Amino acid sequence: MREESETNMQLTVNGKQIELELQTVQELVQHYGLKEAHVVAEVNGEIIDRAIWEDHQLEPGAKIELVHFVGGG
Amino acid sequence: MDILENDVLEIGGQKFRSRFMIGTGRYPNPYIQQEAIKASESEILTFAIRRVNLEDPEEDAILQHLEGMSFTYLPNTSGAKNAEEAIRIARLAKASGISNWIKIEISVNEKTLLPDPVETLKATEVLANEGFVVLPYTSDDPVLCKRLEEAGAAAVMPGGAPIGTGLGILNPYHLQLIVEEANVPIIVDAGLGSASDVAQAMELGASGVLMNTPVAKAKDPVKMARAMKLAIDAGRLSYLAGRIPKKKYATASSVLEHISK
Repeated sequence: MREESETNMQLTVNGKQIELELQTVQELVQHYGLKEAHVVAEVNGEIIDRAIWEDHQLEPGAKIELVHFVGGG
Repeated sequence: MDILENDVLEIGGQKFRSRFMIGTGRYPNPYIQQEAIKASESEILTFAIRRVNLEDPEEDAILQHLEGMSFTYLPNTSGAKNAEEAIRIARLAKASGISNWIKIEISVNEKTLLPDPVETLKATEVLANEGFVVLPYTSDDPVLCKRLEEAGAAAVMPGGAPIGTGLGILNPYHLQLIVEEANVPIIVDAGLGSASDVAQAMELGASGVLMNTPVAKAKDPVKMARAMKLAIDAGRLSYLAGRIPKKKYATASSVLEHISK
């Protein structure tokens, strides 16, 4: 039997539905090749501290927002 | 300028030599932006918070262009339509770990982008209590500006005119009253167009100015950044020096005695 952790997970990232094979916020940020120091992650409306990205398990159906600083006044 | 050497701007316990907060949006390219920032001698930079474009993650990632330079970062809550949304954006900004400063910007009317005073006051109160250094962008209403100060704003930022209009200071009378009443720095944010507007703001007693569009969209942003910096210094000195009162009729500047005939 395949382990649960190896199956793809339905996620909504920045408003877009995707299916990815990963488990943690850390893996998600790495998946997109983002510079960790510049990104803030919110999962289901809760900000996830960068220090615990590695441990934060994503649940199927999670809504994730990845934001960063852009030019503005 | 030596004469301004000890003239320090203090916000949220931090001291600044520069009274110019500069925005990072809408420059022709990152190089010009960087040169303009240098020419401005600004120590405080503003930013917006947006979703990462997952198709092109490095696009618009502003911090990558500023590595190795040292600034105080002032993220804004632009895009927020009410206090709740502004508070969320502020918390996201703080979670970045680079700043606990926040410029509250809550606009509902797309035509004017004027700040919503009620929501701005609410957000200021909540975020100041959470330990943010709060700088609300607000309308130039003296009573509201006082209320924002009482709610815990570290500095209050009335607009001179709607964002990006370059109309200058539409209500100098109000700005002067705001400055007179204030116990925190008053920063004129939005609406300025050129060096003369900036000098006027400073002469009216503003502690500083925040600008983006008039620099970024000038024909030569780098020169304009410098012009604005010089106007801030000139206006500040003029304010500190104390202008002469306006009079209706002439007073000779050369003595009238001993005229040779």
